[in-house]
Amino acid sequence: MTVATQGAGGGGGAVDRPSGSSLADVIDTILDKGLVIDAYVRVSLVGIEVLTIDARIVIASVDTYLRFAEAVNRLDLEEKGQGGLPNLVGQMQEGGAKKKTKGAAQGALESAGEKVREFVGDGGDSDRAPRRRRPREEE
Amino acid sequence: MSAPTDSETPEQQVSTGCYVYGIAPADLEATSDARGVGDPPGKVSIVRHDQIAALVSDIDLGGPLGTPEDLLAHQQLLDAAASEVPVLPMRFGAVMTDPEAVKEELLAPHHDEFLAALNELGGRVEYVVKGRYVEEAILSEVLSEVPTAQELRQQLIGQPEDATRNLRIQLGEIINQAITAKRDADTAKVVEALSQFAAATAVREPTHEQDAAHVVLLAELGRQGELEQALAELGREWEGRVNLRLLGPLAPYDFVVAEAAQQ
Repeated sequence: MTVATQGAGGGGGAVDRPSGSSLADVIDTILDKGLVIDAYVRVSLVGIEVLTIDARIVIASVDTYLRFAEAVNRLDLEEKGQGGLPNLVGQMQEGGAKKKTKGAAQGALESAGEKVREFVGDGGDSDRAPRRRRPREEE
Repeated sequence: MSAPTDSETPEQQVSTGCYVYGIAPADLEATSDARGVGDPPGKVSIVRHDQIAALVSDIDLGGPLGTPEDLLAHQQLLDAAASEVPVLPMRFGAVMTDPEAVKEELLAPHHDEFLAALNELGGRVEYVVKGRYVEEAILSEVLSEVPTAQELRQQLIGQPEDATRNLRIQLGEIINQAITAKRDADTAKVVEALSQFAAATAVREPTHEQDAAHVVLLAELGRQGELEQALAELGREWEGRVNLRLLGPLAPYDFVVAEAAQQ
């Protein structure tokens, strides 16, 4: 079995196909998902300090709002002198295929977003109680 | 169904524990290059009972657990195994006293339940689809569609920052609402485009305010090509607006559930 680094459709980079999960992806996946041993056995987590990471939940806050407002403001600066907005949007949609919008700014934003996760030392045994996941759906 | 809680008392002295990665069929083989959690990485071995097995490694109980390397090792091991055999992944951090305990307290009492789940899983694996909006594109879209956002933006032009905090908060809130609505619609679109290739789908919580979609699929490994093709089509449609990523094949983290936990 091999995994292509590009989508089999040859989408010209339309879909990013990393060969492995990044740490951020791993954090999203293995910390609050999967079978919980405590549900089966009571003798788990024997005397080991497990570092856990607060699961990130996106909660819209004033900071988020201000960031959006700032981004809109930045947008204006970048595009000034190019006429009204509807015009601008039209150009963007037409030129979408040619235009490579993914740039340094996007990368910086992503890393800022990921930065929210931080390691916190956790007592190690207690609050790892099983959280119910949705039951397996079958057709 | 729960194991006795007082059985660990005689084991208190031991300095190593047994880290459990997941459950698989008994014919699973450990690859020699498999790296476990811990520093140095534990050697991965297999504890078998009847028709099922657990992937485990020794772990030093004195050291902390949960470094980036530990997290990556846990997932990489399970994902590699999931490409070969059905695997029920444990959540990160499952440690038992020793291999004997894994066999007697985890595998034996739940043998039939685990075996049934493995059979049900068959050749299916998990895929994660993540979409992230391209900021400029999505903001322009919102401004063109939401008149109040457009008006507020006009009001703010040329105004000093400290005098307009409330207005800016108001504008940001409107944008956030609009993006949330777009996320719901675009998430539904991803699910719709891909669900025909999947036995099950689920939507994860967004991890970023500009997430466009965060969807997990349980799909046959053999249909990966079709899945990639369908997603690439969506990616082309959304080029310049949403950056899509596909992760997998992964162990089915989002699709395992502990029935015994219902008590």
